Amino acid sequence: MNKVVALLTPLLRFATRSAEVLQRARAPRRSMGASRLPASMRILAALAGLGISAGASAACNKPFKFGVGDPLTGPSATFGIDQVQAIKWAVEDINAAGGINGCKLEVIIVDNQAKPDIAITTTNRFIQVDKVPVIVTAFSNVVKAVAPIVNREKVLLLSVGANSPAIAKMGDYVYTTFPLADVDMNALPPYLIKKHGKKRAAVLYVNHETGIEGSQVFRDAFKASGGEVVLYDSYEENRTDFTGLALKVRSTNPDVIHIQSVVSDFPAIVSQLRQLGITTQVTSFQTAFNTKMIQDLGAASEGIIVTSMAPGVDQNPALVPYLKRWQDQYKRLPNGLPYTQYWYDSAYIVADLFRWVEANKLPATGENMRKALLAIKTFKQPLSGPVTFFENHTVSKATYFWQVKGGKFVMIDKSDL
Amino acid sequence: MLSAPILLQLLWTGLAMSSAYCLFAVAFALVLKVNQVWNFAQPALFIAAYYSMYAAWQGAGLPTWVGLALSLAVTVFLAALLEWYGFRVFRNRRSASLTFFIFTMVVSQLAVSLAELFVGTDARALQSSVMSPIHLVGVVAISEWDLLALATTAVLMLALWLLMSFTRFGKQMTAVADNPELAALYGINVSRCYLHSMMLAALLVMAGAYFIGTKAAIVPSSPLNQFLIFAVIAALIAGIGRVFAAGVAAVALSLFQAFSILVIPSRWQIMLVYILIFVCILLFPQGVRRNPRRLAAVEPAPVSQTSVPQP
Amino acid sequence: MIEYLSVLAAMALINVVLAVSFNLVLGYGGLVSIAHPIFFALGAYASGLLARDLGMPVPLAILAGGAIAMISSFALSVPALRVSGDYMVITSLGFQLALVHIITNVEFTGAAGGLTGIPSAFEGPIRGQLGLFAIAVFAIACVAIVRWLMHGPYGRAVTAMRNDEQALESLGRSPMAIKVMLFAMACGMAGVVGGFYAHHFLYLTPEQFGTFASTALLTMVVVGGAATTWGPVLGAILITLLPEAIRFLDMPISVMAPAQGVMFSVLVLIFMYLRPQGLLGGARAGGGVSSWYGSRAERRVNGGVKP
Repeated sequence: MNKVVALLTPLLRFATRSAEVLQRARAPRRSMGASRLPASMRILAALAGLGISAGASAACNKPFKFGVGDPLTGPSATFGIDQVQAIKWAVEDINAAGGINGCKLEVIIVDNQAKPDIAITTTNRFIQVDKVPVIVTAFSNVVKAVAPIVNREKVLLLSVGANSPAIAKMGDYVYTTFPLADVDMNALPPYLIKKHGKKRAAVLYVNHETGIEGSQVFRDAFKASGGEVVLYDSYEENRTDFTGLALKVRSTNPDVIHIQSVVSDFPAIVSQLRQLGITTQVTSFQTAFNTKMIQDLGAASEGIIVTSMAPGVDQNPALVPYLKRWQDQYKRLPNGLPYTQYWYDSAYIVADLFRWVEANKLPATGENMRKALLAIKTFKQPLSGPVTFFENHTVSKATYFWQVKGGKFVMIDKSDL
Repeated sequence: MLSAPILLQLLWTGLAMSSAYCLFAVAFALVLKVNQVWNFAQPALFIAAYYSMYAAWQGAGLPTWVGLALSLAVTVFLAALLEWYGFRVFRNRRSASLTFFIFTMVVSQLAVSLAELFVGTDARALQSSVMSPIHLVGVVAISEWDLLALATTAVLMLALWLLMSFTRFGKQMTAVADNPELAALYGINVSRCYLHSMMLAALLVMAGAYFIGTKAAIVPSSPLNQFLIFAVIAALIAGIGRVFAAGVAAVALSLFQAFSILVIPSRWQIMLVYILIFVCILLFPQGVRRNPRRLAAVEPAPVSQTSVPQP
Repeated sequence: MIEYLSVLAAMALINVVLAVSFNLVLGYGGLVSIAHPIFFALGAYASGLLARDLGMPVPLAILAGGAIAMISSFALSVPALRVSGDYMVITSLGFQLALVHIITNVEFTGAAGGLTGIPSAFEGPIRGQLGLFAIAVFAIACVAIVRWLMHGPYGRAVTAMRNDEQALESLGRSPMAIKVMLFAMACGMAGVVGGFYAHHFLYLTPEQFGTFASTALLTMVVVGGAATTWGPVLGAILITLLPEAIRFLDMPISVMAPAQGVMFSVLVLIFMYLRPQGLLGGARAGGGVSSWYGSRAERRVNGGVKP
């Protein structure tokens, strides 16, 4: 946890607010798709849009903008950078296929370091300066911090990847496109007990939204399936020395250790567990589905089981060209691959929302985008499979189980839901 | 849960971990004893040591011993700077302890901010892999890091003790610690002694930084928010002027914290240390000043014999 | 423009109160405490929680926050000062770190994620300006109180205490009582302004109140001039405005925060070396860090040896 940004937080806040106001003073206001063209012009524009077969027209006078807040620097940047790349590619692909009725989809990307206070500043900026109707973001603590703002200002917030079950209750304008922890954390314990014969679980979790609720779900499900939870302990996000925790794990003698972590804490804990000669089975959720983790841990990563909410190459052939794109440009697989699949798809969801709003001749406000979401309900997602938004702000998908074998992730099972 | 193997493992690992804290405590206590300064700038020395090693190894890929030598040079140099252009200036100005305190805290904050600026706020370890080979001795897992840390600390403590007790270098520092004015009268170069003690402290801090960084990653603010308080409390418990007692206190504190894992959740372990501060104050109402007693011991013979002219 | 200026002004005025109250402790009282931001935090969290969870009306919650901060100050000042001023340093550092740790790890404060959903003091389109007005009134009141207090007989007692405790004791005044009351007053002020902050900015995170905040306050007091009335005011305004200046250099977030840390530390160091009396402290005004020269506070750590 970065203890440096202290009194600076409010300074940062009005620093960017000042930018807002100064920009407003300097540049003419840009209205967000609330164009008041005369009907004749609109028909002409629509016809022109229909006539364009390839590429969105640059002459379109209402680019559809949405905001993206994700960590590009800071401890979670390993995931954030790749997520942002995925969504940028998606926006390019959407525009190459004609955009939204011929108009370009535009994404405004801002770094928030996965920190709640920075995210609040950037969200305020999105709303007051860029006037976007939709914001895509991730990380449970960020979502929690900006929820009051988007609810008050009636801007749709799509949480992609954050999995704290509390997100379902964070307000009318907060929706997740990604199954919350009560999906996979209810599926993992029975799987471990039935298929792997585990009986005693030690549960470690990071002390904020990402860890707290998900680990509770795991714990309750493990007990409900007949297992015993021998340890349930948390650690603060910025801790790097886990010797004490590892010793405690060892003293309780579990046969499986489940870690509800963020990004860089997972390899640190596992390496220190292994250092103390603890060879117990380690499990985690999608944040550990990360090839960089295997690199960091080396042999210590063998056998780790993680859950994933996105299909693999065998389930979804559309993944092949996507992975090839990563190999071609970056010579590696993306970090947090399943998350990037959801992030790629989120641009398609946003595009669908804009199309609905346009088709129903409504201004693209947050309120209307939300209406669109509830009206369309089920979205085809190219990479992560179809998703349906329920009334209670949740979505449900199958849980896939992967295990590290021979230095690679191998899918070992699936749990339908 | 409270079986012998577990307790033994806790004891061993707790001891090994305490080695770094012992080094920090002894460094802090040494400066407190000789320079009579609460060196809250010690985190700055840590940061200089740590990130110079990091730059040498992870940045420039230099061999181990080059990195160690470089880091030692940088840290010792910084310590000398602190004393010569910092403490000495304020000492000559007869500044209040408040001034020293503000100065040292701000120097630490400057070091933290500079580190964050150049290296970022992410956690960094000194080596790309912090796994060291382990050997199972009976039921206790002993890693090579443990052995190296304990051995190095023991050697350094022994060397320091020999230095302080038997060499002129060390005895001069002790004299200055007791009474700088008297020491000066005896021809001891007081300023040089102040420099020497700071440089020794730098060596100890650098060793401690090495062990911290080869065990786990840290963020730039850890030295200020985490390690400093340990050193301070150890020095407090031991008493001003008692350097090795501070080391022992640090080990005891570290073990206390390690064993507390059996009864309290890990995230509350650090609170024990904070609570201990308050306990110390309540149990040691006399304060930790032993100087007045020692000063009294070296004071010249009663006034009546020396100042009043004898008939 | 108006919105920008009013947010900036609100922050500056909050910092004014914090600096002025910190100056009471550090500058006038010579008490070596760096835990001041934590009383700001206590007031802010207490006020926010009371208003949000218990439905207390905002003005009452703010006052309650201040009271809680004031009462908490006794937990620090009484044990520490009972012994010596040196203990105060360490105890205040431990106190601050401990409380930040507790806030970060306890559920009802929102833990590391922070406290959200704090009810605003004012509603409506001019809520920013109304909030600013309220804060301004409080800031002016604080400065006036401190000035009146320190320029009167109480102020003289405080100066006497700072310079020679034993002499003061021999006159039948209790230095301990003066120190504890001074500390309580300062922390109460910080707590109340914390409440203002909570209900104006509507979001708190525990990270804001750590050692970095202490450095910022130190900068304000040292640069402005300790132990003067207007020194901290000037220092607070300067330190609030300076980050604005470098913001226009358009640095990425990851660079801006530590750059400000560097700037603050360097400023303090420059002033301590070249102008320890601060901007407004002069030899005659007797303010600044130099106001401790020749004082009892001085003789402690320097080996007790003085010619």
